[in-house]
Amino acid sequence: MAVLPQTARRAAGIKDGARTTARATPYLFVLPYILVFLLFRLGPSLAGLGISLTNWQAVGSPQWVGLRNFEAMLLRDTVFGVALRNTLVFSVITVPVLLVMGLMLALFLNQRMRGRAVGRVAVFTPYVVMSTVVGVVWTWILDKDFGLLNAYTGVATPWLVSERFALAGIILATVWWTVGYNMVLFLAGLQDIPEELYEAARIDGANTVNAFRFVTLPMLAPTMFVVLMLTIINSFQIFDQVYVMTSGGPGTATLTLVQYIYTQSFQYQKFGYGSAIAVVLFLILVVVAIFQTRAYRRGLEGVS
Amino acid sequence: MRKPILAILIVVLSVLLSVGVGLAQEPVTLEFWGGWTGPDGTIMQELVDEYNAANPGVQVNLSVQQWSPLFDQFIAAGSAQQAPDIMSMHPQEIAQFVELGLIEPVTELVATSEVYTEDAYLPKAWELQFYNDTMYGLPFDLGVHGVYYNVDLFEAAGIEEFPTNQEEMLEAMRLLTLDADGNHPGDEGFDPENIVQYAINMHTNHHAFYQWYALYNQLGGELLSEDGTQCVMDTDKATQAWQWLQDLVYVHYAAPQGQTDYARDFLTGRTAMLVDGPWQIPAMEAAAEESGFNWATAGYPTIFDEPATWGSGHTFTLPVYGDPDKREAAVDFIEWLGSNSLGWLASGQLPVRHDVIESEGYGELVGRDAFVETLQYQELLPNIPKFNEIFAANAPSPMNVMGQRIILENADIRTEVEAACSAITGILSIP
Repeated sequence: MAVLPQTARRAAGIKDGARTTARATPYLFVLPYILVFLLFRLGPSLAGLGISLTNWQAVGSPQWVGLRNFEAMLLRDTVFGVALRNTLVFSVITVPVLLVMGLMLALFLNQRMRGRAVGRVAVFTPYVVMSTVVGVVWTWILDKDFGLLNAYTGVATPWLVSERFALAGIILATVWWTVGYNMVLFLAGLQDIPEELYEAARIDGANTVNAFRFVTLPMLAPTMFVVLMLTIINSFQIFDQVYVMTSGGPGTATLTLVQYIYTQSFQYQKFGYGSAIAVVLFLILVVVAIFQTRAYRRGLEGVS
Repeated sequence: MRKPILAILIVVLSVLLSVGVGLAQEPVTLEFWGGWTGPDGTIMQELVDEYNAANPGVQVNLSVQQWSPLFDQFIAAGSAQQAPDIMSMHPQEIAQFVELGLIEPVTELVATSEVYTEDAYLPKAWELQFYNDTMYGLPFDLGVHGVYYNVDLFEAAGIEEFPTNQEEMLEAMRLLTLDADGNHPGDEGFDPENIVQYAINMHTNHHAFYQWYALYNQLGGELLSEDGTQCVMDTDKATQAWQWLQDLVYVHYAAPQGQTDYARDFLTGRTAMLVDGPWQIPAMEAAAEESGFNWATAGYPTIFDEPATWGSGHTFTLPVYGDPDKREAAVDFIEWLGSNSLGWLASGQLPVRHDVIESEGYGELVGRDAFVETLQYQELLPNIPKFNEIFAANAPSPMNVMGQRIILENADIRTEVEAACSAITGILSIP
């Protein structure tokens, strides 16, 4: 190795230091998030996985029980089945509605017209409201005897006080509350589509329907993927509205998985069992995500 | 990189310093938790303020939030070996917290206290504070179901005496139920689709099974085996008790189906009677003052053999993880509350001390007597460690599910009773 003059070495040293700083800078920027993520997301998740293998009342020390919580849940707990079914029904109805309505509202409010800004704000505003407030307001709107909705329709539908309608009431409130969020994501996606594509399509003789089918939809695919993913995850995690509006009733008609987790853990002090249900919910979501990612990739290949 | 470390050091030092200074100079602070989220919370705060003003060496901090999250927080604090200095709860919840190792016996306190002595309290209030023959709670008040009634509507229906048995009750309910044409149930042309005034409310929440519990006790029914390991519900009696409640809605049309706001319906005259606890008294007093609302109270009716009414109450407990140095101050405060409980009666809750019941101040209050007279028939839900799993006010507790299916869905009673009983035994059989 050749001996460098002092000045050159010093110059190189300075340069090395600067490069280190430059390389570290981005990590410093994400450090606060990473810390919070590790402390409040990843850490508790891993801890939850551990707790699911124990009996633990939050007070005292956990007792190792292996997979017995999972065995009890999957083989003997009929309420778990009910909560899972309610959550699935809720998601199967809510996800397509939120997707289609969000897209339609975005298409509508993406046109050049008067009152466009007002319309966008009006659709998005509910999402800013706290979920508990949404729950209380919709409890009033859906009141069987004095509610706004029944007053308008003139039919005394027992929205939140019958097993037949309670979940529908929760779905109504949820769609009103969250559709604005999907609309905003779709709007952003729509505005990313270059205008030239539509011009080219028009020159090729495409009408509005064709332009939507062959330009808008394929170009929105990445947005669609994100929105679908977020909507499914949020639907499976439904809790606040149910907790405020029906407490899972009447009977167990609106009991959902996350509420069941909450009840088992915090109300019954069975944190091990509650964590086991949470692990199952997590696994369901992982499976859904894998299927979706695959479908999305296949879709992309189809487009190219 | 050195600056942040310095900043953190300064913060840590100043916190340590302020704690040190605090210990040296500040008065003793007591953390006092309770779930009084209604007007009763304001009254409790007034009592606390009064105590703080009279005792400059002590500062009581009252923290109020709804019972259920309050208990969550109490358990979370306990798992970190921390706790408030005084924890309030209902007597039927004592077992849970004893089993979790979170509250201490009050035996020693009671042995030396001049306020909490057995002869100063109603026997019922005193005996509810025990679990496994050890006393854990200090009684503060009791509450039972009773009936509020609209005196004007009773007069309009020509009812002079409040009904006292099943037969009288059914006839009174018939007279108090009106359709738009003024017909009663059973009259020719009565239209059940167009009822403008109902006789009574029907709970669609957990109070439905509270009422059932009273009626089941009126029939002499037992819910749990003595060792607390299984459900021993008598299906016939359980069915009979539920049948009374279900028929009020679906057979006699005396109560609205799917009711949600019982107090509002009573105050607006939609129902002529309201079954509820004494905590509704302040709302009645306010309505009487504002609009001359004409109300009175009666004890929960004896529909079957023996009088019985659902009840609960408020109790003070001493947490295991409370600060031992503050125990003396905490005891002083609860003794003061116990001997100054007259002010608490404004919340509607019922007195449990003989000296308060006999006091002039109590004599001036209206509407309480009917409740107090039935305190001796009060039936509390069993004080068992798995209380929440069986009796919680929300899904999927088997009692709440049974009540809502029977009252809201008009479900077959026998099927629901049997399902609830086997669910309860299932819960109790898991160690």
